[in-house]
Amino acid sequence: MVDPGVYLEKLSAFARMLRREGLPISPQETADASRLLITLGFENRETVKTALRTVFAKSRDEQLAFNRVFDGFFISEEAMRQQAQEQMQQEARMEQIRSEAQEELRVRDIPMDFSEEQWRTYASMPEAERQRLQNFMEKYRGNAERNPKLYGDFIHSVFTRTILEQQMLMEDAGMGVDASDPEIGMMYRDISQFKDTEIPKAIDMIQTIARQINGELAAKRKAGGHSGKLDFRRTIRKGLETGGTFYHLRYRKKRHRKRSLVLLCDVSGSMMQFSEFALRFIQSLNRVSENSRTFLFSEDIFEADAFALEDMDKFRSYVKDSGIYGRGTDLGTALEHLCSMRPSPLTASTTLLILSDTKTIDQKRAIQSLLDAKQLCGRVIWLNPIPQNKWPYLRSIQTMSAICPMVCCSTLRELAAACRKITDF
Amino acid sequence: MDLQTLKAKMDEAHYIYDDTLAIILSVALQLGRPLLVEGAAGVGKTEIAKVMAAALDRDLVRLQCYEGLDESKALYEWNYQKQLLSIQVNMGNQDKDTLTRSLFSDEYLLERPLLKSIRSEKPVVLLIDEIDKADEEFEAFLLELLSDMQVSIPEIGTVKARSIPFVVLTSNRARPLSEALRRRCAYLHIDYPDMEKELAILRAKLPHVDDRLCAQVALAVQRLRSSEAILKKPSVAETLDWAAALDALGIRDLTPDAIRKTAGFVLKNNDDMAVLEEEGAEGHICTGNCGGHHHG
Repeated sequence: MVDPGVYLEKLSAFARMLRREGLPISPQETADASRLLITLGFENRETVKTALRTVFAKSRDEQLAFNRVFDGFFISEEAMRQQAQEQMQQEARMEQIRSEAQEELRVRDIPMDFSEEQWRTYASMPEAERQRLQNFMEKYRGNAERNPKLYGDFIHSVFTRTILEQQMLMEDAGMGVDASDPEIGMMYRDISQFKDTEIPKAIDMIQTIARQINGELAAKRKAGGHSGKLDFRRTIRKGLETGGTFYHLRYRKKRHRKRSLVLLCDVSGSMMQFSEFALRFIQSLNRVSENSRTFLFSEDIFEADAFALEDMDKFRSYVKDSGIYGRGTDLGTALEHLCSMRPSPLTASTTLLILSDTKTIDQKRAIQSLLDAKQLCGRVIWLNPIPQNKWPYLRSIQTMSAICPMVCCSTLRELAAACRKITDF
Repeated sequence: MDLQTLKAKMDEAHYIYDDTLAIILSVALQLGRPLLVEGAAGVGKTEIAKVMAAALDRDLVRLQCYEGLDESKALYEWNYQKQLLSIQVNMGNQDKDTLTRSLFSDEYLLERPLLKSIRSEKPVVLLIDEIDKADEEFEAFLLELLSDMQVSIPEIGTVKARSIPFVVLTSNRARPLSEALRRRCAYLHIDYPDMEKELAILRAKLPHVDDRLCAQVALAVQRLRSSEAILKKPSVAETLDWAAALDALGIRDLTPDAIRKTAGFVLKNNDDMAVLEEEGAEGHICTGNCGGHHHG
């Protein structure tokens, strides 16, 4: 039998790796795991994996992370050899593609100036896409004669942009999201990439998460304590149980002041799905606000009937009937309309929640209107469905996020986190 | 108790399990840790506690959680009426200190499930069901019990466990549980059973039902669960109800007509029924030898 000391040393390193993956492993859990390892030995890998997972992983997310770390850490010798061989083959393949790519992408017989990651991305792009870029390069090759430097810079910028777009597409395809649990996978995927068949499941998940958030809110409300004023009526009634003795004192509940909320939802073609999901979330949260008004906009704006929004299953047909569906986005007009309404829906106690990507016509006017709206209301929060890794490439996002706090909501998980945040105002 | 003994005990209790479940239960027992069981409604979370009680030959003490559950319902309460009566009766007989001391003795203590489970001479299985329904304060209150197996009662002091119960906590994830509670427990997540396990459960729980019908029901339920359009997936309990209903109606084959008549036992929402109508019409759910339509 192997000396237990060997296990324990490995176990300690394993616990450190789990911590690095975000699992809060306490010394007590490591001690439990060591007790188990001493009893079980390491004869049966699957038994050890299940036993350690029981001790270390305390949720579905943690179980997935645990499996990943365990499979990478406690690897059999055969698997290790196979992995090393595969990795060598992969590296040789990549090196070959990379050198081919350097041959293909030359400006004045010098390989283009790309980072290692960009070369790798180019090498892993589909053949058709690579051919398209080469054709493009060929098309403008004549310009190289006239102004070699300008041609070089131009071709470089086109290539860099396409390669970055390809990288984003690969990220959007859900690479890195564990597909072994579809429910968890959906939480991390870009909402705009959901298939039609996945939408009922997503709605079901939204309802579950909204129930959870409501549960948390109820708990917070209770934990908020009492106002400090004695409730005589309830104290006397409770005292009847103890023969008139005031054994249990009852206090008046603390009054919670809810702020009013104005929702401005972009329902132009690309934003419809996100707005529906976000509205479903917000409608399900029964303690968001005591007074909320919802405005839908694309090129025009109109106020949604609160009763119509009660049944979110009919939201799509409601928006389509309104005549604003499928048109462009004009945030400036929508905000101007809001600011000019009398009596104004935007007051010092109002939180304005904008559900939109920042793609709008007439950006200058939109920025000015946003500044005006910000002056009128207490707080503006922007929920943006564009993944945060794309923000640095979109100037409109950079401008708008400098004016008001912008929260990324590209996945259901982020949307849920944003809704938790807005309940705190 | 080692793994093999536990498996033998669970076999005796006619419980259908896989190796993973047996290992997790054995680990929780070996470490003396509470077991936190999560999973969708109806996958058999509560059943685990019952089976463990049977397998370990212990009594099952159950605490059903709900919003507003507090110490007086979960741990202990003083019998106020009896205390008041005692005060009236002994008003002139004893000195005040003796009377006060006697009022806070075991005689006036009403044990609730938690206290009962740790004061029992023989170890029990304590089931804290649907802990996610209880308030966060209650969850925090449980920490002392779960980690140190003791509770503090102000009038008496610290009550240490006479015997260590095997604690099973279940949660439907209505709200996330605190990290502190999670970290004190061994964790088990139960998914819906696969076809083989579901069939084994049907055979074990309903031995009188025709084996062919059981297989058809199990297959149909698997298809319903894998359908993205079905929102409320049928649980194991609903599978059992469905098979029992079909058997009670004397149905031997899962034809579209039989599905239509008994769909209410397996699906519990209107939209899902509509989906079943559509998919049933196309032969996606029906698994029987019905001859009346073409199976795709």
